[in-house]
This record gives sequence, structure tokens and C-alpha cells, in this order.
Amino acid sequence: MANISCTDIVKSYGAHPVIEGMNLDIPDHEFVVFLGPSGCGKSTMLRMIAGLEEVTGGRIVIGGTDVTTLPPGERGVAMVFQSYALYPHMSVADNITFGLRRQGIARAEIAPRLAHVAQMLGLEPYLDRKPKNLSGGQQQRVAMARAMIKTPKVFLFDEPLSNLDAKLREKLRTEIRKMHLQLKTTTIFVTHDQLEAMTIADRIVLMRDGRIEQMGSPDEIFERPATRFVADFIGTPAMNFLHATMQDGHVARAGNIALRLSPTDFPRLRPGQNVELGLRPARMKLCPEGTPGALTGTVVLVENMGAEGQVITDVDGHEMSFTTPAFRGLAIGDRVSFAIDPGHVHAFDPQSGHSLREE
Amino acid sequence: MTRKRFVTLSLVPAIGLLATLALVSVAGAVWFSLMNRTLRSADYDFVGAYNFLRLLRDRRFMNALEISALWEIITVLGTLALAVLLAVMIFETVKKPLWRNLLCFAFLVPVLLPRVAAAFIWRFLYSPSLGVINYLCGLVGIGPVEFLADPSLALISVAVVDIWQWGLFFTVILLKLLETLPRDPIEAALLDRARTWEIHAYVTLPMLKGPLISLALVKAVESLRSFDLIFVMTGGGPGTATETLDLYAYQMGINMGGRISYASAMSILLLIVTTVAFTIIWKAGKKWAS
Ligand SMILES: Nc1ncnc2c1ncn2[C@@H]1O[C@H](COP(=O)(O)OP(=O)(O)O)[C@@H](O)[C@H]1O
Ligand SMILES: [Mg+2]
Repeated sequence: MANISCTDIVKSYGAHPVIEGMNLDIPDHEFVVFLGPSGCGKSTMLRMIAGLEEVTGGRIVIGGTDVTTLPPGERGVAMVFQSYALYPHMSVADNITFGLRRQGIARAEIAPRLAHVAQMLGLEPYLDRKPKNLSGGQQQRVAMARAMIKTPKVFLFDEPLSNLDAKLREKLRTEIRKMHLQLKTTTIFVTHDQLEAMTIADRIVLMRDGRIEQMGSPDEIFERPATRFVADFIGTPAMNFLHATMQDGHVARAGNIALRLSPTDFPRLRPGQNVELGLRPARMKLCPEGTPGALTGTVVLVENMGAEGQVITDVDGHEMSFTTPAFRGLAIGDRVSFAIDPGHVHAFDPQSGHSLREE
Repeated sequence: MTRKRFVTLSLVPAIGLLATLALVSVAGAVWFSLMNRTLRSADYDFVGAYNFLRLLRDRRFMNALEISALWEIITVLGTLALAVLLAVMIFETVKKPLWRNLLCFAFLVPVLLPRVAAAFIWRFLYSPSLGVINYLCGLVGIGPVEFLADPSLALISVAVVDIWQWGLFFTVILLKLLETLPRDPIEAALLDRARTWEIHAYVTLPMLKGPLISLALVKAVESLRSFDLIFVMTGGGPGTATETLDLYAYQMGINMGGRISYASAMSILLLIVTTVAFTIIWKAGKKWAS
């Protein structure tokens, strides 16, 4: 059990910087998710914490010990790889106990620990098998067992579920979360899947091009995106964006569209100022035509998502989508009106992309 | 035309040719081995299994059999051991691709040398009066060592040349194989606190078990054909200390005796022994690798 603290971490390959001055503090017991598009440096950051990659600059402290220059085996971390990275020629049992045997722990002590993790992850029937004779989900459980049996200070997961099908991914995600509730080991989990991040994280570190774009609980990230990038990255269907100009009475206008913004959330907006509005499809509701503040457009496409449907509409030349459970009554070409609660409208600076909301 | 027929038809000529060539020579050797032909006289008799029975009582033949077996074991194990050691060392210490490629290129040179050329080079290196190796030995106060004339050293000294040629070649192959292995299990082993040698002993080399067995088999077959090397370096001597079966057969059949029937019998026996031995090794290797 340990907290992790990264100070001014820099990593470059040759002249090309991949991580540019990361500062990160993860308290004990926390489940942190590194989220971001492919290539933003999530794996690099994780691998530097694991010691598989050297830092170009900065310090990494785990549980009060400066591990910046320690080899991976001495940092007290365990890692689960996307490829599972099992030892292909060893049985499942040997795979799981390899680390303990390397530490010279007695066989008599290893056996009960193996039995315990195998029971926890439901691997008892497979202990004598070779990894290649297991399904992807079972292989990933072996990889998790191999990490757990070491009772590390920190768990590191690098996109562990990406190679699994959707159903299994969901199941293992729940299992990982349950495992964390039980063991309470500090965990860093890397994913590019925002839904996975939202469901599993205590705290999300959203990264972009080697920098932290926003750090916060899933709710904060979803409800209070600090930048347009975050707002766009989080949530399915993706947020609608609309360039608008402020007018008197805290109204943002884009052509025929006029939306009133909350003066308490955005006290500094001045008439004439350009803003980029962000409207979450899930926050908009179907309403009768003529309702004040409603947007009206024609249906371009209806996508059935089961319980809800995404309705893509053309509003005054802008493509806007919203979700509604009542999508089944809508057809292409229909006129629809939908409204959003002013409390759920986001506004960003068009130049910097920063949110204009005041906390 | 079905695929199967096409495959059959295209294979028949080549296999037919090979089979004819192999069968004719084997049949010829069997035919000779049942008689008492020599190069000295034209007349001969049919003697049945006499040559084979004599072989079993021929102490020099038994010696040659032993030397051949020793030669196989020393060269195959030596080559693989050298290749594994060097490949792992280079894999761990030389990280720059340029240096690695230069090393690989240098390591390929010995095997490109004709065997006779390699043999002459090393005969010179081993020379007690002029050789570099004995000069170095002299510096540390040993020698001169009669590498090729000392019966207890000669076989090893010749094997060193073979291992030098093939071990370095196999080092290159193994290094390239190590480079193709996925990084993840190695990194997992690092996190599992495995030391460098443990990573290779428990993770990478077991992952290369299949290729290693294939390399061993290739080398074993190759080692059977070391006639030229041994012939140039020692000619089978001193005495019979490096006389393998093929050298003995050559001495018997062509060089000294001209007893071609006896030599043929020896070749047939050699053929049977190697076929049986290799079938067993092949089967065992496949079972072990799976
Ligand atoms: N060994 C390497 N050499 C050069 N560039 C690398 C290396 N590893 C990663 N990169 C670069 O670093 C960036 C971040 O990679 P990575 O951390 O794997 O991204 P992520 O895991 O977020 O998808 C990428 O642009 C990638 O091209
Ligand atoms: Mg990655």
C-alpha cells in the first residue's frame, strides 16, 4: 500500500518529447485511470512508473521511497499487460508463482498463496494448463493472478481489457473494480476507452500530447470539463459544439439559435464575446415546438441504441444530436424541438479551448 | 487438375531422380559390401556377411565409432553453448543496431570460409613453432603445446575450429531470434525480479526451444560431414586419435588398403546407425519441444 508521487516527469525519445513535465500525486488506495487518445503517452508514463522505461527528467516516489533509478523488480509494483505477457512455456501455476520463486520464497509458503489467488480469480481448474490452451479472458485472469500474488504496493494495468470482446471486457472490468475494493491497493489503470474510465475510476487523469489536460473524479470530468478537448473526448454520443456570440441578457446567439446561459456559472461573459458552446446530447430533451429556449430542426438520422436513440438533426445548418427514449416516433425529415437546461450548457473560449465556467 | 494431382505430378520427377541416385549408390555399396573386392586385384568372391562380422571385431572401427560419437557430441554441444552464450551476451550488452549488425557481419565470415581454408588457417595458428596461440601460451609461461600432435588434445583442437565456424554463425541466428521475441514476457520477468540470466534461462531460451532443437539437428547432420576439416588438420592422427568413421572408411577403401568392399560395409553400417540415431533424436526432440 502506497501513495505515488511524480514530479516534473519528462520523457523524450531523441529530440522528440513524449511527456512534457507531468506532476501527479496519487494518494494511497486510490484507483486512478490514465485516459487519453492513442499516442498521448499513457503507456510511457505507466512504464516509467514501473521502471521499464527510464525517465529523461523528474522524480518518482512510491510509498516514500525514491524509485526513480531503481530497477523494475525493486519498486514493489506489479503490472498487467495488454498482451497478457504470460510465459508461454510455463503452466498457469508456474506463471503465477514465478515472481515469488525468484524472490526465494519457500514452496511451503507459495502453495497457500497460489491457492488463494487461484480461488479468487476462479483459476483452480486451469492451474496445470499452458497459457495457449486458455481463452483470452482466462489468460487475462492469469496475468492478474500473477500480479496479485506478489501483494505489490501498486498495481499497474496497461489497457488490460483491449483485446477482449465487449461482454468479457465489461465482466472483467467489474472484477477488477471488486478486487480493488477488497485489496485497496493503489492502482493505475491505462485505457483509451472513456466509458471504461468513467465506470472504473476514482479519479481520471485525462492526458493529451504528453500533458495532463484535466484531473478529477468521473463526475467532475463529465459535468465540468476544463477544456473543449475533454468535453469532446468524454461522453457518447459526443458533445455538440456550436460557435456563438454573446448578446445582452446572457444569451448566446448563432444564427437563429439563441441559448440563455447561467449568469452564475459564466459571470464574466460580455456581450459581443465569441464563445464555443457545448451541448451534451444526453442532457437535451424532446419538447413541444415553441417552448422558450428550444432548438428546432429536421431529423437527419435516427440511431437505435436500444433503450434510447440518438437523433441527429439539422438545426439552421448545424448538425446537432440528442438522445431520447421517444426516438421510435421520429422519422427522417420530421421537424423536432429539443431543449437543454441552462445549467448543462458548457461554454469554451474559441481560441484557447478553456472552459469559461467559474467555479 | 486437382491440387493433389498437381502436387504429385510436380514432385515425382525430382523425387524420382533423387531416389534413383540414392538407391543406386546405396545398392551399389550393399553389393560391394557382400564381396571381398580390393583395388589391388581384379578377381573377387562373394563373401556374404563376412565384412560386417569382421567390422564388429575391428578395434580400429570401434575406435572410429567412438571418435565419431565424441565428435558429434562435442561439436553440437559446443556450437550451441557458444552460440547461446554469445547471443545472450550481445543481446544484453550491445544495444546499438549499428554495432550489432557489424558484429553479426564479422561473425558470419568464418562460416563463409571454405572448410579447407579454415583448416589451414587454424593449422597455422596451432603451430608449435610459428603459431600465434603458442606464442600467447608462451607469454603466460605454458607450452609450446602440441595442439594437433597431442592425442589427448587433437580432437578438441579440431572441434574448436568447427565450433568457431558454426558457433559464430549460430550466434547470429540466435541473436536475430532473440530480437524477434515479444518484449512483454521479458518485461514481466523483470517486474517479477528475475535477474538477467534467469530471464534467459527461464523465459527467452525456453521460448526458443523449437528453433534450438532444429539448430541442434542441423548441426548434428552437418557435423557428420566434417571429413575435409579433420583430413586437412590431422588426417585422423595422431595415431587414430581423430579418426572418425568417414576418415577410416576413406583410409580403408581408397588411401591405404584399397579394400573397397570392407569400406562399403563400413559405410552401410554408418548409414544404418545414423538413420536410426537421427530418427530417435528427431522423435524425442519433437516430443520435448511440444
Ligand atoms: N520506443 C519509442 N521510441 C520512440 N517513440 C516512442 C517510443 N515509444 C513510444 N513512442 C512515442 O511516444 C508516444 C506515446 O506513446 P505511448 O505512451 O505508447 O502512447 P499511448 O499508450 O498513450 O497510446 C507516441 O507518439 C509514440 O510514437
Ligand atoms: Mg498504450
